[in-house]
Amino acid sequence: MQNIRSRREFIKTAAAGTLLMAVGGALVRIAADDLTRAARAEKRADGRQRLPPGQRVIEYLKPMGGDEGDGDPRNFRLHVYGLVKKPLEFDYKELLKMPQVTKEADVHCVTGWTMLGGEWKGVQIAALADLVGVTGEARYVIFEAANGFTANTPIREATMDNALVTYRLNGKPFAREHGAPVRGLVPDLYFWKSAKWLTGIRFVARDEPGYWETRGYNNHGDPWKEERYG
Amino acid sequence: MVDVKRWRAWLRAVHRDCGYIAVGFTLIYALSGLAINHIKDWDPNFHESERTLTIAPVPDDASDAEAARRVAEAAGTGTPDDVYRAGDEVRLGYNDGTQVTAVGDQVTVQGRSPRFFLRVANWLHYNRGKKAWTYVADVYAVMLLYLAISGLFMIKGKLGLRWRGAVLVSAGIAVPLVYVLWSGGPEAHRGESRDPPKIEAKQN
Repeated sequence: MQNIRSRREFIKTAAAGTLLMAVGGALVRIAADDLTRAARAEKRADGRQRLPPGQRVIEYLKPMGGDEGDGDPRNFRLHVYGLVKKPLEFDYKELLKMPQVTKEADVHCVTGWTMLGGEWKGVQIAALADLVGVTGEARYVIFEAANGFTANTPIREATMDNALVTYRLNGKPFAREHGAPVRGLVPDLYFWKSAKWLTGIRFVARDEPGYWETRGYNNHGDPWKEERYG
Repeated sequence: MVDVKRWRAWLRAVHRDCGYIAVGFTLIYALSGLAINHIKDWDPNFHESERTLTIAPVPDDASDAEAARRVAEAAGTGTPDDVYRAGDEVRLGYNDGTQVTAVGDQVTVQGRSPRFFLRVANWLHYNRGKKAWTYVADVYAVMLLYLAISGLFMIKGKLGLRWRGAVLVSAGIAVPLVYVLWSGGPEAHRGESRDPPKIEAKQN
């Protein structure tokens, strides 16, 4: 009888402790989330809410893992090819000599965080598309990255004004875990589409779901439709 | 008539031996599981550091050695192992992984070191290495299945699986089921995506 009472007491205490921690954690999170509340009240120029549903604002990019690339700009090469008239391959120095833009963009991770208002510097993918002469058959863009990683996007979204091959955020180079030296940026899709350690941009006619898209994530990844999973 | 006592004793013995073997695996998978589960809140693989400082911009016509000297002196990082210049950037590399990059008047010093144990545990958990670890992980998963199922029967207790056993087993099944129903499950956010054609997945 004593054992049973002890066991019951233990379970009750453990349950009460768990509940207390959960409530406390939730309160801390709610109280500390002014940035999220403020972002929810804002609208984008296209009329959509600035913060997609289910997202929470954080102040810095979170490293989300991945099989890292070389990271050394000396070894960087980007191959732009596929359904193009003049395939192109260039190195880091040549990238910096191309027409540069700096775009302010929010990015949204499929795991639920959003970073607002980053200043991303780089070259527009649309400019690269013009440079290589993308043919009319191309419908999708496949971002290729270190160790065979790929991410697919419709060409319309990959060549939007704010879609870049980027090498600097807020005036700083990317740390290796964030894709140094160069990563893709397609800010209006979930952030996994913005491939880190970029090695290639391939224009194709038929869609080719990439690494995460073939592992349960949504093929398109629109944050405003919460297209998280396939 | 099956000898139930001997059967339970056999279950217990194998359960105990599997349990011993599972300790190491479970530490790796459970600790890295906790670490990876909160990946949006921290970097489970590396300690990172970053600091920025302002310097007088390095003149374009400064030699590589002079540019490196100015930046390293400002950053206080000593003689670099590698110097690379591109456009307005001066990058200094160090063998310990530290990177110093000067862009105009801003210098960023980025460093990181792997977390002891978790870096390797996460690598195993993600099965990044592939190859033989796939089979090792399969064996561990089968052992876990055995531990779970044999645990139901190896000690009869006063009421067997009735009452408390039934309640706890039901709770363990109900929690994920209720969560799937409550959240809408994997179909909840399908949206308007296209159905992807099946292709051979490349290794990450």
